[in-house]
Amino acid sequence: MAEVLSLLRKPLVLDNKSYADVTHDIAKPLERKTSTAWWAAFIISVGVLLIGIAAVVYQIVTGVGVWGLNNTVGWAFDITNFVFWIGIGHAGTLISAILFLFRQKWRTSVNRSAEAMTIFAVMCAGIFPIIHTGRPWFAFWLVPYPNFRGPLWVNFRSPLEWDMFAISCYFTISLVFWYVGLIPDLATLRDRTTSTIKQKLYGFFSLGWNGSNRTWHRYEKVYLLLAGLATPLVVSVHTIVSWDFATSVIPGWHTTILPPYFVAGAVFSGFAMVLTLMLIVRKVMSLEAYITTHHIENMCKVILATGGIVGLAYATELFVAYYSANGYEQFAFINRALGPYGWTYWMMVGCNILATQFFWFKKLRTNVIWVFIISVIINVGMWFERFVIIMTSLTRDYLPASWASFTPTIIDLATLAGSFGLFFTLFLLFARFLPMVAIGEVKGVLNYGRNGKGGHA
Amino acid sequence: MSHEHHHHEDEPTGLDRRSFLKMAGFSFGAFLAGCREGKLEKAIPFLIQPEEVTPGLAYWYSTTCGGCNAACGILAKNRDGRPVKLEGNSDHSLSRGGLCAIGQASLLGLYDSQRLRNPVAHGKQVTWNELDAAVRAALERHSSAGVRILTGTVNSPTTLSVINRFLARYSNAQHIQYDAISYSAILDAHTISHGVRVLPRYHIEKAKTIVSFAADFLGSWISPVEFTSAYRKGRSLNETPPIFSQHIQFESALSLTGSNADIRVAVSPQEMQLCLRHLMEIILRKAGQSVTGLTVENSFADRIASIAEKLWAGRGESLVICGVNDRKMQLMVNLINEILGNYGTTLDIRRPSQQAQGNDAGLKSLLDEIDEGKVGVLITAGCNPLYDLPAPDLAAQLLTIPLTVAMSDRLDETASAAQFACPLPHPLEGWNDAEPVAGIVAITQPVIQSLSNGRSLAESLNCWMGEKKSAYELIREEWNANIFKRTSGASTFDEFWNTAVMAGFAQVNPLPVKSSFNQSSFASVSSDTAFPAAGSLMLVLHPSLATFDGRHAHNPWLQELPDPVTKIVWDNYASISKSTAQRLNVAEGDVVAVNAGDGTRVELPVHIQPGQHDGVVAIALGYGRKGTDRFSDIGPKWIQSRPTVEKGNLVGINAAPMIAFVNGTLQYTGRSVTLAPTGRSVELVSTQEYDSLYNPDLLGKPTTERRPIVQETTLAAYSKDPSAGSFHKHEIVSMWSDDHKYAGHHWGMVIDLTACTGCSACVVSCQAENNIPVVGRDEVRRNREMTWIRIDRYYDESDGKFSVAHQPMMCQHCGNAPCETVCPVLATVHNEEGLNQQVYNRCVGTRYCANNCPYKIRRFNWFHYYRGDDMQRMVLNPDVTVRDRGVMEKCSFCIQRIQLAKIEAKRDGRPLKDGDVQPACAQSCPASAITFGDMNDSGSRIAKLMKNPRYYRVLEEIGVNPSVGYMTLVHDREEKKEVTHG
Repeated sequence: MAEVLSLLRKPLVLDNKSYADVTHDIAKPLERKTSTAWWAAFIISVGVLLIGIAAVVYQIVTGVGVWGLNNTVGWAFDITNFVFWIGIGHAGTLISAILFLFRQKWRTSVNRSAEAMTIFAVMCAGIFPIIHTGRPWFAFWLVPYPNFRGPLWVNFRSPLEWDMFAISCYFTISLVFWYVGLIPDLATLRDRTTSTIKQKLYGFFSLGWNGSNRTWHRYEKVYLLLAGLATPLVVSVHTIVSWDFATSVIPGWHTTILPPYFVAGAVFSGFAMVLTLMLIVRKVMSLEAYITTHHIENMCKVILATGGIVGLAYATELFVAYYSANGYEQFAFINRALGPYGWTYWMMVGCNILATQFFWFKKLRTNVIWVFIISVIINVGMWFERFVIIMTSLTRDYLPASWASFTPTIIDLATLAGSFGLFFTLFLLFARFLPMVAIGEVKGVLNYGRNGKGGHA
Repeated sequence: MSHEHHHHEDEPTGLDRRSFLKMAGFSFGAFLAGCREGKLEKAIPFLIQPEEVTPGLAYWYSTTCGGCNAACGILAKNRDGRPVKLEGNSDHSLSRGGLCAIGQASLLGLYDSQRLRNPVAHGKQVTWNELDAAVRAALERHSSAGVRILTGTVNSPTTLSVINRFLARYSNAQHIQYDAISYSAILDAHTISHGVRVLPRYHIEKAKTIVSFAADFLGSWISPVEFTSAYRKGRSLNETPPIFSQHIQFESALSLTGSNADIRVAVSPQEMQLCLRHLMEIILRKAGQSVTGLTVENSFADRIASIAEKLWAGRGESLVICGVNDRKMQLMVNLINEILGNYGTTLDIRRPSQQAQGNDAGLKSLLDEIDEGKVGVLITAGCNPLYDLPAPDLAAQLLTIPLTVAMSDRLDETASAAQFACPLPHPLEGWNDAEPVAGIVAITQPVIQSLSNGRSLAESLNCWMGEKKSAYELIREEWNANIFKRTSGASTFDEFWNTAVMAGFAQVNPLPVKSSFNQSSFASVSSDTAFPAAGSLMLVLHPSLATFDGRHAHNPWLQELPDPVTKIVWDNYASISKSTAQRLNVAEGDVVAVNAGDGTRVELPVHIQPGQHDGVVAIALGYGRKGTDRFSDIGPKWIQSRPTVEKGNLVGINAAPMIAFVNGTLQYTGRSVTLAPTGRSVELVSTQEYDSLYNPDLLGKPTTERRPIVQETTLAAYSKDPSAGSFHKHEIVSMWSDDHKYAGHHWGMVIDLTACTGCSACVVSCQAENNIPVVGRDEVRRNREMTWIRIDRYYDESDGKFSVAHQPMMCQHCGNAPCETVCPVLATVHNEEGLNQQVYNRCVGTRYCANNCPYKIRRFNWFHYYRGDDMQRMVLNPDVTVRDRGVMEKCSFCIQRIQLAKIEAKRDGRPLKDGDVQPACAQSCPASAITFGDMNDSGSRIAKLMKNPRYYRVLEEIGVNPSVGYMTLVHDREEKKEVTHG
């Protein structure tokens, strides 16, 4: 990946790293003894995951009634978590696919982790549509497989059916994309490791990579094609998820703005999650030279932009409700903001709109602590956004006699926590066994902003 | 329908022996077993199938409802030897086809495994022979000290004649009747005014003006099914000009009847007396009578004057009734009705009602006798004095009576305190008769092989007289001897009897009633100007619309039935107005002590009730029954579940100790009480969280707008324009107009909101028909009630006027059903007859359909709901799938009935007629508010109703094309200002 040298650009990798340094820096954490900090984090994550597993098992054995749902509010935490996690995944795909096509070289330091995050987030998300059903052991009926049930077939008119396709497609392509990107690095690890088992495993998964021109050539073609395939998913998956609501007749759900609104929100929340993770990773794994303030700033800018779109969507919804002259629609939005769950709306507005405004200032964009705090706030805010849309719209729809409130149970909370447990457990395993930064790709941008001798401009 | 074949068309005349056996087949075991040990009980499957039983086919038996004393006619649907559904008998001259919630639920009472099954002596189970021997011996010994039989109202000619024969054997013997919800004052007042102790039969349908003083005649008063049907008949909009009675209700609490009134006046119990007195004064003056003037300084004077005007103008076509058990008020009512010439038209004492015969004075003197130790033998039957009387010392006094025998359906408060407890059969498992209204004799026949070893009062008394006869024999003897001679027409007794058993009742000549108006009763009332002082807070006790006087407190269907007014389940409470709650600084659910002056008190949670008078605390009777702690186990158990009742607690609190004995009558209203917060608080559970069609206040702009869901107008506006009150009709554009062709039938329903009273009979009827589980208080608290039909109740306090609207809501079977498109597995689909079908087996339970239902009528099985013990599960309707957890369900328009009707029509080789299919809700409705039929059949009732200008569909504007329509609610009242239409 030879690049034209340009001293006008900022270097993407600091500290004058050599090719060997890159390999060494990134592979080192995988080769040294497992740190206490990793174990501590892992044990906590697994603990939380076990709580979640216990909650889900209890729920499947006992019934969906152990959640706080009711006849009026048929979805709350379950689908909120689902949409939230799907949204988190979007940053990974955007970084690895769209930024790749747009030749955004800074993506190389973060794309690997972001893609891993995508896959883990989609795994977390995928659990909810299955466990939220009353009879999860029949959830496979959503798959249109040949069967002996006569005319029984799936309903292709149902957005939930589209979801099934969108998510399974998304997961498959993300996984393949991520794995293909990993192949050169797996070969590097294979070549470095002293452990026979690791050698065998890395060797198996690196598919006989030999670093030849031909392998690189084919690799890059495949990668480009996959990036092209993954790109529409950035838009389509959350668009389809939003159709769960947009195609319904429920005031607050039934709005055409939902697809762009959801996609922007997904990228927004995804980048926040990438930042949350990366800021920890670069510190703990000493990758400051690879994930620089430049990267952080860039991601903050994406957040600022998508946050702006989200804010515009909030305002548009309110305006359209006002302008619609539809009493039900108007009430749905007034109720969102001022009704019994108004606090969740203001959590959403506060976390997503107000908090991101700090990113207008370079000083704050480059302040790691600030960025970390705001990224966490945005994660919270985006969970609430989904909760507000899903839950408050259901609580009070057309007939006042059927209005009902929702209170989560401890099983709801444990399941939500468990999904985070799963996410962090997988992420920690990833950090322990696979390179967090794409070694091969970073090497390709090493010369950015350097002079011919390898020094900084 | 199949019952028609059974009791009409098959054998119109000349019923032979075999056909009779067919009908009475199941009951033979019951009457052979009477008064005898060694009952035949063989659990042998149908090795030899009985000729009269075809498995899978239902048989219908005419019988009489035993839920209360109104004695409505019912048809019991039998499947495989057990009743699975009760329906109103449309040929019955009292109930005319309706059946109330209590009647519907009384079916479940049959399968209550905690009923008393065997006789008990001194706490030990004994055989009837042992008990009979002991009771007979004790009777010999103690009868000289006085024999007293205490019962509820007995209007069974057979039982009365056995009681009389029994009493005649002893020198000092009496039969005392009382009603826990007493109407004694009405009868007592007639003794004074008309010289005969009768309860009139009210012909509400004939009254053009109905003025009711706290008589909840559509809810619980005397004969609510009969009255609801009559009320509906008197309020018809089909004619021009409409024949539409005006109903004015004076009341303190908000009753179901008050919620339907054209004009409802909230008054304190004291003001009510003054209003009535004032009304009487004006009427008397108009009639030229002199009357001591009473300065009625009240704000109601104008209104009463106009009511009096209206009553006077419609003399003979009006009716004044009063639900207060107060002799003076009842006397005033009698005088008003007499002057207005209503006797003989809107109320009848020549063919009086016998639905309530209780005599409070007799009860009082019995209680005094017991107190003085003058009773040697006390036999109670079908009543529960230790529970429902304000007699705190009675329990101790009973122990001093040498012989106490209690006949009851369970070891209740009284039966467990008596020396001998005798099980009474459930009305569906034993023979009985009744004469609820003079000239209408009803038969109760067993519809199942008796589940208990019960014996009726008549059988037991007869047995203790040394003569063992079954109830069946006793009834036939009585009818042969006394009823048959009152007939005209039937040639032989057997013919008469068989026809009566088939129909469930017979019309005979009433026994003559001699009455003459007593002019002097004027003087006593018109000069009586003494009225009780107003208390700051007065008590109103009323029967529960579910548990009634407590006799149905063991019925989970009724306990979970949302109260038609408050929508609260599984509890009773102290209702107070909002401003009173503010004054006392208490909130909904705060437990208060209700103290009467003499130290009696009950502690109950507060319910804040719109429409209630500020000076009143209203409490439902019928709760806090012994043994209701059994319901602690009802409902799913999981980590955060709460029991329906805490272990050891009862469902609700018994408020009967707060009843006062004043001047020899049981007084339910007017007692001065104080309320003291206890500091505790509980959560009252209701099925409706929000009560108004106006948006909540804090939400700015749209609050002034009433949601276009209930179309309402006034009679005046309707008379000018029959489409008055209609919402703006939106143009519905469809891109797929040919999506559904509906070439054959297209089922639809129309609900007339003017007819619907909100009584909730349909709710329980649907529950019984469709195997809907009881989910317990906690699940209802979590808004997970399973009922397929609910009655939405909206309060409207706009324009400073309080009004109520009831709107039954069930699956609207939308043509463009939002639920259908979103189900990923096609578990809810449209059929070619317009039904929205739920396929339980296919449902994976995403609940997407429920979310997308604009009416929120879908019900999800959150848990595996318990359907009762083996005995209780016998109530399950074999025609309807029992749903397990994880699947969605909802109203199916009773598809099993549609299919059955189609099969029968096909078998008979005829097209399906309008009316062949009646869903359970429509069948049960005493007001016939629900019409079901084929919208494609231009001659059907529903097709005609759909052309009525009052017809509209809820949420039509969102394009879901519902198959259920409604008819504008019309009231004869002044128009409200600021009513906007969406």
